[in-house]
Amino acid sequence: MTLKKLFLPLLLLLCQTLLAQQDSIVQLKEVIITDTQLQNFSGTQSVQAINDSVINTNAASLTSLLNYNTVIYFKENGLGMVSSPSFRGTTAQQTAVIWNGININSQLNGQTDFNTITTRDFDAVTVRAGGGSVIYGSSAIGGSIHLDNKVSFGQKFSNEFRVNYGSFNTQGYHYKTNIGTDRFSASVSITRNSSDNDYDYANGGTNINGQYYNTSVNAVAAYKLNAKNRLTFYSYLFDGERHFSLIFPSEVKTKYRDANTRNLLEWAGNYGKFTSKLKAAFLQEEYKYYPNIENPGFTYGRVESVIAKYDLLFKAGEKFKINTVFDFMQNKGFGSDIINKTRHIGGASILASHNLTDRFMYEAGLRKEATSNYESPLLYSAGVKFKAATFYTVKLNTSKNFRIPTFNDLYWQDGGNTELTPETSWQAELGNAFTFGNLTFSFTGYYIKLTDMLRWVPTGGIWRPMNTDKVTTSGIEVIAAYKKAFGTHVFEINGTYGYTSSKDENTDKQLIYVPYHKGTAGLSYGFKKFSAYAQVLYNGEVFTRTDNDSRYNINSYTTANAGVAYNFGKINTYTLGGQVLNLADTDYVSVDSRPLPGRNYTMYLTIKF
Amino acid sequence: MNFKKYLIALAASVVLVSCSSDDNRDTPDISQAFDNGTFVLNEGNSNVSSASVTFIGDDGTVQQDIYNTVNPGKPGLGSYLQSMFFTDDLAFIISGSANKVTVVNRHTFEFVANVDTNFSSPRYGVVANGKAYITNYADFNIGTDDFLTVINLSDYSTSKIPLNNWSEKITEENGKLYIFNGFYGNGTSVTVFNPTNNTVENTIALGDSPDSFDEEDGILYVLGDTKLIKINIAANSVTSAIDLPENLHGSAHLIVEDNKIYFTNGTSVYSMALNATTAPAAPLFSYTSTSPYGGMYGFNVEDDKIYIAEGGDFASDSEVYTYSLTGTLLNTYEAGVGPNGFYFN
Repeated sequence: MTLKKLFLPLLLLLCQTLLAQQDSIVQLKEVIITDTQLQNFSGTQSVQAINDSVINTNAASLTSLLNYNTVIYFKENGLGMVSSPSFRGTTAQQTAVIWNGININSQLNGQTDFNTITTRDFDAVTVRAGGGSVIYGSSAIGGSIHLDNKVSFGQKFSNEFRVNYGSFNTQGYHYKTNIGTDRFSASVSITRNSSDNDYDYANGGTNINGQYYNTSVNAVAAYKLNAKNRLTFYSYLFDGERHFSLIFPSEVKTKYRDANTRNLLEWAGNYGKFTSKLKAAFLQEEYKYYPNIENPGFTYGRVESVIAKYDLLFKAGEKFKINTVFDFMQNKGFGSDIINKTRHIGGASILASHNLTDRFMYEAGLRKEATSNYESPLLYSAGVKFKAATFYTVKLNTSKNFRIPTFNDLYWQDGGNTELTPETSWQAELGNAFTFGNLTFSFTGYYIKLTDMLRWVPTGGIWRPMNTDKVTTSGIEVIAAYKKAFGTHVFEINGTYGYTSSKDENTDKQLIYVPYHKGTAGLSYGFKKFSAYAQVLYNGEVFTRTDNDSRYNINSYTTANAGVAYNFGKINTYTLGGQVLNLADTDYVSVDSRPLPGRNYTMYLTIKF
Repeated sequence: MNFKKYLIALAASVVLVSCSSDDNRDTPDISQAFDNGTFVLNEGNSNVSSASVTFIGDDGTVQQDIYNTVNPGKPGLGSYLQSMFFTDDLAFIISGSANKVTVVNRHTFEFVANVDTNFSSPRYGVVANGKAYITNYADFNIGTDDFLTVINLSDYSTSKIPLNNWSEKITEENGKLYIFNGFYGNGTSVTVFNPTNNTVENTIALGDSPDSFDEEDGILYVLGDTKLIKINIAANSVTSAIDLPENLHGSAHLIVEDNKIYFTNGTSVYSMALNATTAPAAPLFSYTSTSPYGGMYGFNVEDDKIYIAEGGDFASDSEVYTYSLTGTLLNTYEAGVGPNGFYFN
């Protein structure tokens, strides 16, 4: 804590000098998000936006944010280690992560590790449940997670600095600046997180070799060429190293490095009823795995992707929209364990939405991809929305989606299988949304039938991926939010609940690591410059065996976090907060033999100037 | 087979113990709980709780996960359980991923010691002169870094001896260690190691990568990728070899029992006379694996019974089967995840 003692006065001094620069005028005009389909073509599905204040009060990892605020289930190999979601009972490869409209799931293993995404780098995090392959391509089966940056023009200059320090020497530093004129806008966010992560286990023992650090930079710059044309550049860099924690102290210590860069240049033009967007993206992902940290040797994989996309939106008033998207992607894969290959995928989508009356709208989409690697199915989506009463809206949506084989699936040595076909799903959902004053409430039932699910199975001496399984998933999701102010006292209550039945059709057994029940609840309270929150997570028990032998189940667990914060600033914001995580000191695991921390603490200071 | 020697000793103790237990049949004596039956080693997967040992009693009773049942609160076995080996009183269980050997009393399965130093992907072990010798792969891609871990059984301290060659299965004959240098097609010899002065005395070239072996009457019968090779132990030399026809390349699980050689190929069991000079043309029998991917994951022959382990899906409990020597299914027993070996007690 000596570091912190030194650091705080320094920060305060720093701010005094910066105060003089407080001449910026914050004028929010039009806010631009490049992922317009999320707005325009998601009307018949369940979309949950997670607001800034929730992002800021949660820990920096995307795992923690979504675990405590959505129905998505996570399994985490210990705090900060590999984290895989299961959304609507699907696998980690069946949830797409979309960064400013671009699917950033790994081309190597098909999934996003949710502990390699720092939420503070984004202005909005949105969870779009259900099928989305028509818009977002591979993996949007359980749903998609959208990480967006907002662009707005107008004179502004604002800065935010945040530092947090907590148990296990967990440190976080975050700086963000926004600069804008009438024609130019830029925002840059830099985040650094690190932790010794050497927490004690409840049954004795310590989390050995769990340390990690990561640094990320997210930048957006936009320039208005003229009244009709705009150039925007998005860039996201992530560099991190994690040691993988041990179960037995005698295991070999390993570590893993991720280095990802994502760059996107967009030329947008507004020509009356037409909005045209030409996008070029260059993405690079690389991992290095050190099978023994004592040795310099490592294995690695790298994929360089170039994406070109043309997106044309036609709006006939506000009632009718039609959107065509043509895209082309080249992925070049390299690695110590894969055959170096280049893959090309071309795709075309057409999306339409029509507000027939004030109460009734429908939307539909089609997408077809072409590639030489496998047969790609025709993807579709169709839905209707009807506002049956002022307080009640019903939505119905059906879609066909897919998850394509990854570079590892196709080209891993030894075992890669070039004869694979994509996993395909047919799915339907019925959503009911209610609004009673300050209470919003949604109740959604869904059904997913998945065929050709890929699984790595031992074939003789080696493991190979095969299109073996068929899975039928059905479930319900409830999302509720309530907000009420009594004078200067503001209360907000949020809750989610998911019931998930996800069965292997051959065995009629529940998939492993898919809980039947998951629930979250959050309560926040604000009074003038004081705020407090509490959140609770319930994860039902999960099977770890495909035969559902209950002897080996991972027990259900309930964990809670709570925190308080106070804003000391008069003109600027100086928010000092403290949090207690795992309030009840629950002894729990989300993955077999991988204990998560007991009660632990974090303090943070946020300064806006 | 090495532990046959112990079986003789055991047979004597069984007689003794069974006499004493007659007096109190109501409370089974834990001291001989696992003396009459077969241990099935269940390899497990990346979840450590999936690794276990199943016991099939000679009376047909089956007990799952005997280690954790007998030893609550003791250190876990680790996972990817590779193999077991024995002394008269001890059983050693090797975990490839946890880099450790768990030592238990072979009669009661009670925890004795947790040995977790000087290992790197341990594979197989044997006991000679009061010490246990365990082969280690270290880096799976490199043969020259393979080594032996030596456990001093008086205090369970360990030390390392470099071997500079692919090192897999190991046995002890006439005070010498025979280390088979085959690893999925790499390595084509047998190393003869003298444990009294820790030196390699001889390297017997096979011209083929050894998969499995058994010993009978001073001869090591070694099953390679393409040949069945006989080594005279006294002379430490190859005396003869039978070329296997193409359909028998990549065979596995050689066992010598009652003057017959047994081995497997795919889900078929083959047998031939010890002195046969040609490979068998047809299998003794074949069985239909209930799993498309994990057939014949473990195999052994003992007391006129053929034991076959089904790997299953490696994510749930699987089964083992016993067959008569003519290929009639005798029994099906439930086992754990990925059963890979049978050890007779």
